Amino acid sequence: MSERPKLILADAGMLGSVRTRRDALKVMAMGGVLVFLPAALTACGKDDPTSPINTVPNTGKALTIDFAKGDIAVLQFAYALEQLEADFYTKVVASFGSSNLSAAEKAVLQDIKYHEVLHRELFKAALGAANGFTATPTYPGVNFNDRLSVLNTAKTFEDLGVAAYNGAAQYLSSTDYLTLAGKIVSVEARHASAIRDLLNPKSGDFAPNTFDNAFKPATVAAAAQGFIVDKLTFANPPASFVQGPNNNG
Amino acid sequence: MTTTLETPLVDTIDPEIIAKLESRADEIAQGASMSRSTAALLALGSIPIALGALAKDAYGQTPSDVLDVLQFALLLEYLEAEFYNKGIAGNGLIDAADRTIFTTIAAHENQHVAALQSLITGKGATPGAKPNFDFTAKGNLPGFNFSAGQYESFKALAMAFEDTGVRAYKGQAPRLINDKAALTAALSIHSVEARHAAMIRRLRGKKGWISNNSRDDLPSFTQGIYDGEDNASQNGVAISTLPDASNNGGVAAYTEAFDEPLTKAQVTAIVTPFLA
Repeated sequence: MSERPKLILADAGMLGSVRTRRDALKVMAMGGVLVFLPAALTACGKDDPTSPINTVPNTGKALTIDFAKGDIAVLQFAYALEQLEADFYTKVVASFGSSNLSAAEKAVLQDIKYHEVLHRELFKAALGAANGFTATPTYPGVNFNDRLSVLNTAKTFEDLGVAAYNGAAQYLSSTDYLTLAGKIVSVEARHASAIRDLLNPKSGDFAPNTFDNAFKPATVAAAAQGFIVDKLTFANPPASFVQGPNNNG
Repeated sequence: MTTTLETPLVDTIDPEIIAKLESRADEIAQGASMSRSTAALLALGSIPIALGALAKDAYGQTPSDVLDVLQFALLLEYLEAEFYNKGIAGNGLIDAADRTIFTTIAAHENQHVAALQSLITGKGATPGAKPNFDFTAKGNLPGFNFSAGQYESFKALAMAFEDTGVRAYKGQAPRLINDKAALTAALSIHSVEARHAAMIRRLRGKKGWISNNSRDDLPSFTQGIYDGEDNASQNGVAISTLPDASNNGGVAAYTEAFDEPLTKAQVTAIVTPFLA
């Protein structure tokens, strides 16, 4: 007999949503159990109207990127990452009033927020309704009032973005999309450098490697999944990956 | 494609490929009366897809394109490597507090040179020799010779070179689209150049990104490095028309969010004053 089905609920408020209630009933009908995550019950009360209902990574709806779509899939993959970045910096900027970031740091983060929102909106327009989707980000353990927490998270996102574009470019067949990806990836690298400079000024950290990483989509997805509620899944993932100079993708 | 009827396909194939195929065809032609090129095509047998992939113009990229890109990138890396090597050697030039930044960049540029040389050698070609450089840019920076007291000029040139490098690699990436190893290697360098660019810009008190087509406080002879960076339309969409664009920094941000490519000809025009 296999293990009883489980539905993990980050928040009792999740039972209020139609989709979750249906899932809960289904699980109960199969003799399953509902599991409430205690930390989420307190940290994410439903009395906070801006808080998403489900904040646990990898527990939401399936967010499937089908690489049979070719270039569109690569754009969708980039769109998911840009949604994450844009949402993160939007929250960072919204928390300026209560954070201990310096004025110079806020100026940098404000600019980056603009850039990432514009990236997101451009991909949204490029993909259209047919190929668009909404990813739900979450930031476990991130304290938006704390400069180190914010800057280190930003560093993670920017470095990951650089490695994601560098690795996914090889799956593009359109030179126009390749150029578009190139236009964005160097801006992400500029962001990464600036953030790293804020964290560790006058060091070599702004460019920690002779060659930047180039990660295969699955490697990027595994890292990004920790910040995305939806279950990132790939259909028809690329069979092969040509490694970059660091051979770690 | 429509020109096939007028243009023999063999004429559209890169000469380097034909040369290789001919040498293989010689082994199988056995004195038959067919032309060497025809024998070369027959040597391909029934793989028209491969033929199509190799046809020049019709499909865009050939191995000689890739080599051309790599040699071009090597020239830019020679320029940067020598610039930083001389900067580090320049007695009293670099502020002590900033030295780690420049030794880091210098090490990268020297390793980029080595990597490109290795890629070129790996394709059976010979890496181009390092030319001699003139870092006064034909007198545009009179007296600049990496001496103490010239640190501001040194940083200004570094910003110019890094911003150029980013745009140059970006412009060449489409020519590598059929060579995934070369493409991924070039992109892995491209984004490192962008990291360098942002660091040096910030060291000079500038934003890490390029606003509009502004060269900031660089001398006017560098304007070509920034021309076209004011493009505010991407993928056929004016950024100003995107939802909420007006709440996200205005035109300066629209242009900062996307770096722009330069053509090989544009980069050559920028680099030429630095060739002795």
